Amino acid sequence: MLIRRLEDAGHTVRWGENGALALALAKERRPDIIVSDIEMPEMTGYEFCKAAKSDPSLKTVPFILLSTLSDPIDIIRGLDSGADNYVTKPYEPDYLLGRMNSLLASPLESADDGSAAMLEVTLQGQKFRVKAGRQQVLNLLVSTFENAVAKNQELVVANQDLSVARDGLQKSNEELSTLNAEISRINAHMVRDLKAAAKVQRSLLPADDVEIPGTTIAWRYVPCQGLAGDFLNVFPLDDEHVGLFVVDVSGHGVPSSLMAVTVGRFLTPKVSDQSLLVRQGADGRIAVARPAEVATQLNRLFQADDFSGLYFTLLYGVLHLPTGRFDYCSGGHPALVRLPAAGGDVEFHATESFPIAFVPDVEYEQKTLQLVPGDRLFLYSDGVPEAMDKDRNPYGDDAMAACIAEFRGAPVEAGVKGLLEAVENWCQPNGPLDDVSILGVEWRP
Amino acid sequence: MDQFRRIQTGKKGDIHLVQFKDKKILDDTVLDEIRTEVTQLIGKASGPDVLLDFSNVEFMSSAMLGLLGQLHRKISSGHGRLKMCGIRPEILTVFKITNLDKLFSIHKDAPTALATFT
Repeated sequence: MLIRRLEDAGHTVRWGENGALALALAKERRPDIIVSDIEMPEMTGYEFCKAAKSDPSLKTVPFILLSTLSDPIDIIRGLDSGADNYVTKPYEPDYLLGRMNSLLASPLESADDGSAAMLEVTLQGQKFRVKAGRQQVLNLLVSTFENAVAKNQELVVANQDLSVARDGLQKSNEELSTLNAEISRINAHMVRDLKAAAKVQRSLLPADDVEIPGTTIAWRYVPCQGLAGDFLNVFPLDDEHVGLFVVDVSGHGVPSSLMAVTVGRFLTPKVSDQSLLVRQGADGRIAVARPAEVATQLNRLFQADDFSGLYFTLLYGVLHLPTGRFDYCSGGHPALVRLPAAGGDVEFHATESFPIAFVPDVEYEQKTLQLVPGDRLFLYSDGVPEAMDKDRNPYGDDAMAACIAEFRGAPVEAGVKGLLEAVENWCQPNGPLDDVSILGVEWRP
Repeated sequence: MDQFRRIQTGKKGDIHLVQFKDKKILDDTVLDEIRTEVTQLIGKASGPDVLLDFSNVEFMSSAMLGLLGQLHRKISSGHGRLKMCGIRPEILTVFKITNLDKLFSIHKDAPTALATFT
């Protein structure tokens, strides 16, 4: 690159790969000026310079050394070798050209021998004896000084750049801290809102110590994020009926939990305009709605012209305490599970039905299961059978059935707790990726 | 040139072919991007016929069903047809539990599905 730059400036360049080759070239035809690196194979720049300066025909050819000048001793070595000028690396080609031109403009005296004297210099505790002419010393001194000035200018410019960059950085930093403060403020706000929302969601769940005569109840509910799409409940509807359900709204987070809370308003055992489960009859008595009617109504209520993609599955059942008749209805929900008191296999009672809010104008179908005393029913969300292990294998219906059967002799509470633990173990080490809801009820009149 | 990140698109006659690029459609963000891209693709067309190809998809959340329901309504209301193909057995289970395999038009592979559009 340097060669092309010099040729562009009108010079004829001859180039030797190392000092020895370059010396041969110079002897062959006397150049006007020599520029040499210091670090070279075979013959260093110092050796090359010394050889050139001791050759009578090359003695007055100006010699420029390209030096990193990392060590003051380099100057002594340069003096000793007879170099006329230093250019410090890295350099701009134009800078080198300028140096060359000024050296070419003032030719070296043909004989400098008269002024050459032995100089003694002490550097870093080392004594050097150098033989150098006055003009050479002067030239070197000036070139060293010029280098220092050039480097100083570069430093000044670099310093200015740094100072501009520093001001910019400071400004950015200030903006960043303002932004950070804003984010913390919004975050604190959101955390507060989420906590409030989670509290509302907990109000959709049964009390921890829920007790309904004629039944034994146990439940677990583990949201995978702060806010869940799942919820479940079990409560007396009147003196003879117990209502129980599990709801699973698709997705997680705020939109799903908002829908869950809205659904929850309709699934309340308190007589109100909103409750789909109970109504005050004309005779003042409470009328319990049929599960199929509840599902059909919910589906109608949650139809929107512009379906957002949010929907939920539901399993809702009504247990008649005196007879053990269990009427239930599923909206796209996983199968109802019965653990028969008499022994035998765990039963899966699946219903083919669409999720709620998904398809307009669907009539939901109701089914009935006649329980015998001691029978247990399990309602759950798909977070149980579809829980995935680290290789994404689902826990599955078979494992769930085996786990439920394993706790046959133990209280319902142990069965529900055992199933949750089995699911959590299955999902090690990451834990369930979906909300997990389990509701177990034993009928014992 | 493909302008979408989540879907690969093509056309066979008037039928829009949409192949999901993702192996896993679990994340809400991925789902939202798919929703935006498919809506953008079919948004302008009136009465579009669309074939969704699931052959790359290994895992899918139930929220994806909601998106499919949304597309189903949108396309049906414009008198278009939505069909699906290349659904793995594991994923088909998700459709079966919710009975949605009965609502959607699901076919084994793209050639089979395309043949039913005529």
